[in-house]
Amino acid sequence: MSADTIKDFEAAIAELEAVVKKLEEGDLPLEESLRLYERGVHLSRFCHAQLEEAERRIEILNERGHLQPAPATLTSEDDSQGKR
Amino acid sequence: MSLFDLPFEEPEPEAAAEPTRTRARAPERRVHTVSELTARIRTLLEEELFEIWVEGEISNCRVWNTGHLYFTLKDGSAQVKGVMFRSALRLLKFTPKDGLRVVARGRVSVYDPKGEYQIVCEHLEPGGLGALQLAYDQLKERLAKEGLFDARRKRTLPALPRKIGVVTSLDGAAIRDIIKVLRRRYANAHVVIRPVRVQGEGAALDIARGLAAIVKVKGVDVVIVGRGGGSMEDLWAFNEEVAVRAIAGCPLPIISAVGHETDVTLADFVADLRAPTPSAAAEMVVARKDEFVSRIDRLEGRLDGSMHNRRHRLESRLRALDARAGLGGARGRLAMHGRHVGELSHELRQAIRARIAARERKYQSLRLALETFDLRRRLGGLRTRLVAGDGHLAAVRARRRHALDARLGAALARLESLSPLAVLARGYAVCWNGDRTQIVRDASALSIGDQVTVTVQRGELACEVKDVR
Repeated sequence: MSADTIKDFEAAIAELEAVVKKLEEGDLPLEESLRLYERGVHLSRFCHAQLEEAERRIEILNERGHLQPAPATLTSEDDSQGKR
Repeated sequence: MSLFDLPFEEPEPEAAAEPTRTRARAPERRVHTVSELTARIRTLLEEELFEIWVEGEISNCRVWNTGHLYFTLKDGSAQVKGVMFRSALRLLKFTPKDGLRVVARGRVSVYDPKGEYQIVCEHLEPGGLGALQLAYDQLKERLAKEGLFDARRKRTLPALPRKIGVVTSLDGAAIRDIIKVLRRRYANAHVVIRPVRVQGEGAALDIARGLAAIVKVKGVDVVIVGRGGGSMEDLWAFNEEVAVRAIAGCPLPIISAVGHETDVTLADFVADLRAPTPSAAAEMVVARKDEFVSRIDRLEGRLDGSMHNRRHRLESRLRALDARAGLGGARGRLAMHGRHVGELSHELRQAIRARIAARERKYQSLRLALETFDLRRRLGGLRTRLVAGDGHLAAVRARRRHALDARLGAALARLESLSPLAVLARGYAVCWNGDRTQIVRDASALSIGDQVTVTVQRGELACEVKDVR
């Protein structure tokens, strides 16, 4: 199927919804429903990829407008007692 | 040792009342003892000032080991000592500190041994609150009039936040809470923090500048602004016009998360979303992702379900066709038709034979007649008739055969439409096992490397199984 006619995440979800609805209404020729199914699988993979895409990172924006990594004290998991 | 550990002594001396009345008259020499004077002062003060409110700034504030609080209240030109006993102190929601403006309620009491008076405080409240409340109300009204609180202005959060901007202090619990929630719920969150002061002089401006800076960071698509819990004064920066307007004017969807559930600031009114706490703000950002994950999962379920149904329907249709026109059925049909054809052929043969017999009989009788009667004269005529008769016979035979052929053809066409092979013409294929004895209905019956035969409309494919899914 045409790989990148997907605009963005929300468009992909909307199209996926339309595809599923069409398939569920049924009575499509076999070839058409196979094509739609493939499109649906493609869309859902796209959505999952988008969900996992963001990077795990924590940064500090300093006074000069530069980004630097957050101090470890801020991001360490077991630091809940650390009050200053 | 506390001042008030020492007992106030001495009941009112009777003598005290007398001189007050006489003062108006001619001065009379009446010598008081220090104790008498102090007692009179105490009476005057304690009777007159037994329930007063006084506002001032706290200084020299100290809790003694008895648990009582001693302090001085002062304003620009005067000061007065004060004490608050432990029982009353315990009820305060805030800790009195030097420099804090307060309104105190209490009574004036005199400590005779030192000739000092002080206020015994029943209650303290942060002073200036009245003024702050007024400022809050006035700004709130003004912003409301400008339409900054309108529901129409509220934007929804992005479906999937790419980068989450946070404007808060690095020192408080708020940022830790936010990071903790994001870590737990959204492992791949990308967070950009702009550290700002969130209380004290200049904090509001700092917050406004922080917002302006964070929205410029490429990719940030949602902002959380806030701080952890504190007193009304601690949260005050979020009620100041410069901060509130910066939040209202934020070009990105913004969540306010100031203090606890019960704290409401003007920031909450102008933000797109108000979170009761910083942790809740993080949850809100992440909730959208959870919502999408489950929505996609549901859609995938339905997608597969619809295909499964479709396959199921096709399979049962094929089974039905199989039952009607499958090999056994087809053979039956074929046999029936065969019998029919056989009967027809037999009939045909009978008819032909009968015709031939009749003609033969006629021929014999004619021949007899010919032999019996004038042979030569009749011979020509007879021969003509004989030839014509033969021609007629052949025509009858041909017509009959033609009709039979047509019936046979129609029967075969009907048979054809019932055959599974006709289904192939509509695009289906039949997959046979290796020795072509069975149709493959279950992929798991085969293993990789097995040979199968796939029958399509025209011809067959010899295939090898490469994968079983």
